[in-house]
Amino acid sequence: MKQIRSIGGQELREMFAAATGWLEKSSAEIDALNVFPVPDGDTGTNMLLTMRSTIEEAYRAPDHSASAVAYAMAHGALMGARGNSGVILSQILRGLAQGFAEKESFTAADLASALQESSTMAYEGISNPVEGTMLTVIKDVAAAVQTERAGNGRDLIAAMETAVNAAGESVANTPKLLDVLREAGVVDAGGQGLHTILDGALRYLRGEMEQMRFRKPQIIVTDMHATKLPQMIAADEVPYGYCTEFLLKGEKLDAAKIRKKLEKKGESLIVVGDDFAARIHIHTLEPGDVIAYATGLGTLHQVSVRNMDEQHQDYLEMQKDRGPAVDTAIVTVVAGDGLADVFTSLGVTTIVPGGQTMNPSTKDLLQAVEEVASDKAIILPNNKNIVATANQVQSFTEKRIEVVPSKTVPQGVAALLAFDYEADLESNIQIMARAMAAVKTIEICRAVRSAKLGDLKIKKRQPIGFLDGDLVAVGESGLEVLNKMLSKLNLNKIEVITIYYGADTKSAEAEQVASDIRSQYPQLQIEVVRGGQPHYNYIISIE
Amino acid sequence: MAVEIVTDSLSDITPDFAKELGITTVPVYVRFGEEVFRDRIEMNTEQFYYRLVHDAAFPTTTQPSPGDFFDVFNKLAKKTDEVLVITLSSKLSGTYQSALQAKNMMEDRCRIEIIDSLQVIMGLGLIVIGAVEKARQGGTLDELADWVRWAMTRMHSAMFFDTLKYLAKGGRIGRAQSFLGSMLSVKPILTLKDGEVSPLTRVRSRAAGKDYLYNFVAGFPRIERLAVEHATTPGEASELIERLGAIYPKDKIYQSTVSPVIGTYVGPHVLSVSLLEAE
Repeated sequence: MKQIRSIGGQELREMFAAATGWLEKSSAEIDALNVFPVPDGDTGTNMLLTMRSTIEEAYRAPDHSASAVAYAMAHGALMGARGNSGVILSQILRGLAQGFAEKESFTAADLASALQESSTMAYEGISNPVEGTMLTVIKDVAAAVQTERAGNGRDLIAAMETAVNAAGESVANTPKLLDVLREAGVVDAGGQGLHTILDGALRYLRGEMEQMRFRKPQIIVTDMHATKLPQMIAADEVPYGYCTEFLLKGEKLDAAKIRKKLEKKGESLIVVGDDFAARIHIHTLEPGDVIAYATGLGTLHQVSVRNMDEQHQDYLEMQKDRGPAVDTAIVTVVAGDGLADVFTSLGVTTIVPGGQTMNPSTKDLLQAVEEVASDKAIILPNNKNIVATANQVQSFTEKRIEVVPSKTVPQGVAALLAFDYEADLESNIQIMARAMAAVKTIEICRAVRSAKLGDLKIKKRQPIGFLDGDLVAVGESGLEVLNKMLSKLNLNKIEVITIYYGADTKSAEAEQVASDIRSQYPQLQIEVVRGGQPHYNYIISIE
Repeated sequence: MAVEIVTDSLSDITPDFAKELGITTVPVYVRFGEEVFRDRIEMNTEQFYYRLVHDAAFPTTTQPSPGDFFDVFNKLAKKTDEVLVITLSSKLSGTYQSALQAKNMMEDRCRIEIIDSLQVIMGLGLIVIGAVEKARQGGTLDELADWVRWAMTRMHSAMFFDTLKYLAKGGRIGRAQSFLGSMLSVKPILTLKDGEVSPLTRVRSRAAGKDYLYNFVAGFPRIERLAVEHATTPGEASELIERLGAIYPKDKIYQSTVSPVIGTYVGPHVLSVSLLEAE
């Protein structure tokens, strides 16, 4: 096995250049891990830009000692740091530079103690360190490499392997430490970026430069699934005030003093740097004060002030608007879990379980409209036997109740979809009624007894078909009934057919029905959805 | 000296049309991976959609820099002392901010009025066209600015999307968030409300969507200006214009295609109407 005892400045630079190339390959995927679209977003890109500035500066080092190169890198990182993640990364590099101070080359032991410095510096740069982020990852890496060193390892490759493994485990663990990550089902993006950089460095040390050209870094996945929709979780992670960022250049700058001074000015404070340059990042309500204070200490560069409340406001708006409208609730009656999901996904406020043979009472409906936050509600009964009950509700409540008398599920869906967010209640009732009238419904179930209706002779258990509530067809199979019915309809004006199959119907059979219709009417868009409704094998919407 | 008018490329006023109008459009940038293009100048709509579909990289966009506006202002300051800048909604882009910063850099070398239109695409375009007309009639900067603010309150638009995928990915979905996650395939119709993307309604077919757009326009009894635009479906746009001919003179309907930067957020197959309601 290849072993490396120590490396100098040139290799240090090459190692991080390789790591930067490695990071570049997955920066987009790391961006995608971001939980919120806040101004600090794009973690992968920010880390990559920070690393590029780091490497550029590394070439300007006065000599080839590990110490000189590491200092140049730290300086480059500080100057080019972007976003929160970039700032923390620059602190990590600064820790390395301190660890390698006055060293011509460095060993595994030097790396272990330098990583300790990195960890300390990273935590020091942030006024409110949060676990489950890059900070935790660098801390875990430093601890693991230190422990490995205690076992007397002298090989830099082995030390770096330990670092990469520790980083991987730590990244995978971030969702356990940070609720927002767990809820979104992702690992911390900054931690992932750090893992990729270390992994790139390890591959360089192993001499795998050639292979790296054809491979891609791995993104660590969490085995936890998102427990909430990402757009729903911004509530307690409140961005606030202005995200204020700048580079302060001066003489004898005292980061600790600046930090102490600014701590009370806001949140997410980061002050990092050396005597001559400090990068400052703060979320504050008074960016003017922060900037005025800093101008007294030196000159300001790369100043950026962004309003975070605007974005937060957008979040609140979004959450408020997840229902169909702010002031109108829509209550509907549905049987079947699949159909309930369909109505929920389309933004219905409340679902009252019920339908054919299990009609809800006026009291059930009344309770539902009383529970919604809005003082206006639209009821979609979705069954002809429930319309009358729904019409009763108004006389029992102070709230304004309108019934859009949908007699079938497809009518209810069509009415719900047509809801116009900018229209008032009266117009919406008309719009929804019109949309409801434009859809045709086919329902297919099995006859519960033998019967003779008009010229239809029906045997018990035979499939029968209803068109908009009227019994019009009987046949040997559901498909046959459906075909009879479709052949009588004028399909020229039809574009979409949606098939909701029932609880007693197999999905394979429904797909078969769909592909049969598709081959007969190739111009139509056919969708198959599990409705899970009782009694009806198929409820079919024709629009 | 006449007032010079400046807007950005998201007004969907093409470079040729801008020349005809005698205005300056500042391009927004669109980026595919490492490649950066100036909207409509270095990349046109067809090239853009080809890459949107065939490129692995998802495009992103960047506002013009303050420097871009500064250059324009410097150039214009040589021939006029009054400049009116009408930008797209500041809720959708930082273009307005860039223009403001550039104005500060100009330090009174000429009078510059910057208006956040709270609109985008032809909603913005129609306002700009109206402002040009007022300028040609000899309107002063203040008169033009007043007219623009009035027009902003009477601008209505409806955009028919094939999918919300691109809008959500690009982080511009705004209040139309509630339309995500539908279990049925639905096509959203959105508008711009207070500068933000907001839901109007949903339809299940393209025919229904086109009907909605027609009825939307028909719902305004008095229309001063009307525009129809599309991304990749010129046939549908002409068909809609043909139909709208029943309620508004066909030859007066502005027709445009959405720019690459807009394409980043709306995806293919988008069809949109914008109208300025008369008093």
